[in-house]
Amino acid sequence: MEEPSEAGQLYAPCVVACPVHTDTRQLAELISLGEYEQALELLLEANPFSSVCGRICHHPCEQNCRRAKVDAPVGLMRLKRFVVEATRDYRISRRKKLTPPHEKNAKIAVVGSGPSGLTAAYDLVKMGLPVTVFERSETPGGLLGHAIPRYRLPYSVVQEDIEDILSAGVQLRTGLVIGRDYSIDDLFEQGYRAVLLATGLSESRTLNIPGIDSRGILLALPFLKSVLSPKPPTMGKRVAVIGGGNVAIDVARSARRLGAERVNMVCLEAPEEMPAWKWEIEEAEDEGIFIMNSWGPKSVFSENGFVRGLELKKCTAVFDADGRFNPRFDDSDTATVSADNVIIAIGQRGDLTCVRGSSLELSPGEKLQCDPETLSTTRNGVFVCGELLIGPASSVEAVRDGHRAAKAIAHYVDSGDLLKQPFMELPALCELPDETAEKIKKQTPVTVELLSPELRLKAFSEVEQGFTEKEALAESKRCLACTTGALADEEKCAACLTCVRICPFGVATIEKTAIMPEEKCQACGLCAAECPAAAIALKRYGTNQMREQLQGVLSGMTPKKVPSPLIISYCCLFEVTSRGFIAEKAAEYRRSGVYSILVPCVARLSVPDILSPFELGADGLTIIGCTNGQCLYPTAEERLLRRIRQAKKVLVEVGVEGERIDYWKTEGSAEVSWTSFWEISRRKLLQINRGMMRHDSSREKTAQ
Amino acid sequence: MIEDMDTAVLKSGSNLERVLSEGHFAVTVEIGPPMDSNGEIVLEKSRLLKGMADAFNITDNQTGVVRLSSIASSVLIMKEGLEPVMQMTCRDRNRLAIQSDILGAAALGIRNCLCIAGDHQSFGAAGKLKGHPGAKNVYDIDSIQLVAALKGMRDDGVQQGGDSLEKRPQLFIGAAWTPLGDPIEIRPLRLKKKVEAGADFIQTQGVFDIDRFREQMKVIVDMGLHERTAILAGIIVPKNLGMLKYMNSSVAGVSIPESLITRMEHVRSSAGDDKKKAREDQEEEGIKITVELIEHVREIPGVSGVHIQAIEWEHRVPEILKRAGLIPRPALHKGG
Amino acid sequence: MIVAERKPLSEIKSFIENYKKILIVGCGTCATVCLAGGESEVKVVASGMRIGFLKEDREVEILEDCITRQCEPEFVTPLVERVKNEGVEAVLSLGCGVGVNFLADKLESVPVFPGVNTEFFGAAIEPGVWVEMCAGCGNCILHLTGGICPIARCSKSILNGPCGGSQDGKCEISPDVDCGWNLIVERMKKMGTLHRLEEIVPPRDWSTSRHGGPRRVVHEELVTQPEAEATG
Repeated sequence: MEEPSEAGQLYAPCVVACPVHTDTRQLAELISLGEYEQALELLLEANPFSSVCGRICHHPCEQNCRRAKVDAPVGLMRLKRFVVEATRDYRISRRKKLTPPHEKNAKIAVVGSGPSGLTAAYDLVKMGLPVTVFERSETPGGLLGHAIPRYRLPYSVVQEDIEDILSAGVQLRTGLVIGRDYSIDDLFEQGYRAVLLATGLSESRTLNIPGIDSRGILLALPFLKSVLSPKPPTMGKRVAVIGGGNVAIDVARSARRLGAERVNMVCLEAPEEMPAWKWEIEEAEDEGIFIMNSWGPKSVFSENGFVRGLELKKCTAVFDADGRFNPRFDDSDTATVSADNVIIAIGQRGDLTCVRGSSLELSPGEKLQCDPETLSTTRNGVFVCGELLIGPASSVEAVRDGHRAAKAIAHYVDSGDLLKQPFMELPALCELPDETAEKIKKQTPVTVELLSPELRLKAFSEVEQGFTEKEALAESKRCLACTTGALADEEKCAACLTCVRICPFGVATIEKTAIMPEEKCQACGLCAAECPAAAIALKRYGTNQMREQLQGVLSGMTPKKVPSPLIISYCCLFEVTSRGFIAEKAAEYRRSGVYSILVPCVARLSVPDILSPFELGADGLTIIGCTNGQCLYPTAEERLLRRIRQAKKVLVEVGVEGERIDYWKTEGSAEVSWTSFWEISRRKLLQINRGMMRHDSSREKTAQ
Repeated sequence: MIEDMDTAVLKSGSNLERVLSEGHFAVTVEIGPPMDSNGEIVLEKSRLLKGMADAFNITDNQTGVVRLSSIASSVLIMKEGLEPVMQMTCRDRNRLAIQSDILGAAALGIRNCLCIAGDHQSFGAAGKLKGHPGAKNVYDIDSIQLVAALKGMRDDGVQQGGDSLEKRPQLFIGAAWTPLGDPIEIRPLRLKKKVEAGADFIQTQGVFDIDRFREQMKVIVDMGLHERTAILAGIIVPKNLGMLKYMNSSVAGVSIPESLITRMEHVRSSAGDDKKKAREDQEEEGIKITVELIEHVREIPGVSGVHIQAIEWEHRVPEILKRAGLIPRPALHKGG
Repeated sequence: MIVAERKPLSEIKSFIENYKKILIVGCGTCATVCLAGGESEVKVVASGMRIGFLKEDREVEILEDCITRQCEPEFVTPLVERVKNEGVEAVLSLGCGVGVNFLADKLESVPVFPGVNTEFFGAAIEPGVWVEMCAGCGNCILHLTGGICPIARCSKSILNGPCGGSQDGKCEISPDVDCGWNLIVERMKKMGTLHRLEEIVPPRDWSTSRHGGPRRVVHEELVTQPEAEATG
């Protein structure tokens, strides 16, 4: 999903916003359809760290979701988490199937087992290049495993993703520190064709202020690491955290859980300038953390060598006119904050000991000299990716970098050349017009309850649970299916204006032939169902999908095996709250001759769709729509009823009873009402010609 | 009243024309022919009505129902000494057949012709009748064009297509008029067109609402049309309440004032359960009403006569006309 | 636009039931717009036929097709090919009468059955409701009647209307039928030209209409010229 496949094709903004362009729109569709395994494949294809990102991603997809204009964005990250959690067994079983293709004769070394390094390794191995990952600690994962607190990301989740990668054949060697245990030169001598540095920003920056050498002052990353160790550090009663980013928040919230009674965060930024994610700040404040905005550290005051507090000076501006980080202070405006511990979380930088023995050059400012477009360094065959290359980044951005690195290295191995990979933006579907947003039925977003702050502070347990299946289905239903709407074939379109007249959202219009502007179309399918020229197709949920399903169902039966009466039931997908129900009940009902086919909104059924079951030998058709008043699309139900009337007329005209078609509306829940509807329809059919449309003594009777 | 009436300048010399030209209040009565070839019925009706009117209309497949033709019936009644007004609709004949029939009618001695569009053939399938609703209608020319064509034949000696006639048909040309039809504002204009086209006399749709008819006639008189054509007010004889109600709701151009409905309702309910008495009382009331209507329209300026329609009730007509003081009819010296 | 209505399926079935291989052809122009015989209707009719034949245990193969217009040789030719190549025994056309005529012409010995009843030239006065507006009389006089055709929209084609049967704006034949002359009067009133109706319109020359025989229009500039004789 990197390059646009068609000229002029637009993508859903959620897909565009995702650094790895996960097809979140299709994710929602697959969940609605109950195709959880296919959804997992979709996720993993773009992002091998789907389990991790399903927990901690900053979800730019949601921030660009067009549904926000209607009520709230779709909870895509939680849907991702749901898929991952719902397919655990499948995920394990598919690992066994991952066999890398025939190996090429060029091995690659990756230094660092964080998300960018492991993603690159995974891609390379799938391309047939043997990879060895060198990790300095005992366990892989980088900051995912060694810094991010467990209440945000349990290690088991990290392991889930890493297992896939290791099962694919990536070699992992732990406990080896580059620059100390081996050098880059060594790697080339050992025959590695290319080296990828993915060591990230693993060192915490410190401050140069008076008193900084007092005891009780800690740096963020080592602190967080020790929090995860079997023996977490003890905190004093009062803790001050310097910094306003996500790491600072992680530090502050961990300190609270470790027993600090009062935690103050001191940051240069004003509230709206803080780099930390908004939801993190909220959760931190809920946990009783105080944020002192627009203050900078002036000095540490201590007693007997132990830190007692901080002296602060007012920060009057963080960025200069050019937008660069250039804080200005008012030294006369001071404050103090008392603290038994001070933790510095003002940023990370790369550990450049790897440079030793590498002939890599540094740029002014003590950074590695590298090119973000080719991912190359000053040394041939040495590449960089991840935070070491692009600076502080989120996990998903690190994953993207890993993909780019693999491409760059594969190209280099093949041709000896560097591959330029300029950053390309995919064209996004524009904003939802106000007048369209008004017509869309509002659906309350599924909210997930967070653990109460009191309970949270007791331990490092997860703050939030994932969606239940019912919740995931309700949330995925809210997706507007951007860019998968109706398309009219201009060869067939007679400009009859039917679509214009019936579109409930006022989308269709005629410009010589019918056009359904993508930014407005809600993919309801009503126009396609009524088009007299059969010229309209939807990119989502084509009804030919359904016809194929139907044929599949019926062709699999030998004449003797066809139950009587044979009922096909089109049921509205949006009413289902559990796939389990469909699997169990549907199987049970198949034995009594009822075959259900789920359709997302039965109002998209055209007259031929309603007639085809009879063509293929069914004795009855039961259509089940949503509960009264629940249909997503205005006027849809009325239109469907008219089409049902038309279909009944056709049947009568050819000598078949019109009563063979039934229409029901879900009552209560699908699980409760559908089975009773099927039974009523079945019994009624038995009254008509013993149920069968035509006499066929070879057909066995179903249980009465 | 028609001015300039010198027997030498009569257009057709028909009795009706002469009665009107001499300034008498004219009376025409309608005779409905049977649905079969039984000419005797026509003769019977003729005997019943002899002397009751100045001329007698014979309908032409009225309401799209096939009946003994107007021309043939006209010849039959002439045998009994009655003067016919032949009716010709545009529905069943094209301009060739129309002209041909007119020439034939004139040759047979018929002197009056009423030109009308004719009800749509779908009307023939109503009530118990099957009719011929699937027939292809003609409507080659409309009633106004027919009047003009007939005038052209009579006065200019040309067929409608332009070929000349030596012996011209001497016919008194009539047209129908619905004074209170929808849209009402166009009705005077339409009458004017018929007069312009050459209509010598007019027989109107049945009048019940005297006030509104009077108003409409004022318009006509202001336009001077009453001097160019003789307007005979149509009088339909109501038999009972049902008939009044039916005509009010279902017959275009006929409007029955509330007072008449109430009057007939009262009469019917006064008879209580006695069905025979109810029927007889209503019939009697109907006759009363008819006589009153005749008396009223006689008073209205511009009205030159009445055209009585007593559908299948012809035997009560003499009584009506006697009570209205219209009997005996003027006996005029028949011209050549 | 030509407005047609699909024939009852029982009638259609009686046309085709003795053939084994039938092709149902729709038309992508008028028939589509008036919902009588477009591709969608082809599917419906095909479905209906298959269900009907299934019920009777009859084996009939029903093929479906739809062409842009059934009255153009270029669009019809591929269809003729298909009929030949696939051994189609009978064709059911859902195009207007013109289409049926044309297809039958091109298919010669393969029978073509009409699947719709062609009714009139008309337009939709509201979605789903089409009314007759033009009689194809060959000599348009709409400038005289405010744009409302007395020949098509008056049941008696009166040119000096209205007749006495007009009631509440409706024709005497049915309350569902507007009195064409009432419409004309209203229109001309609005336009301030009502007085023009005083003029008597003379009897019409019907020879320009179907009454004069089947008609023909020729545009010389498009007619394929016979090749000129070769000069030296």
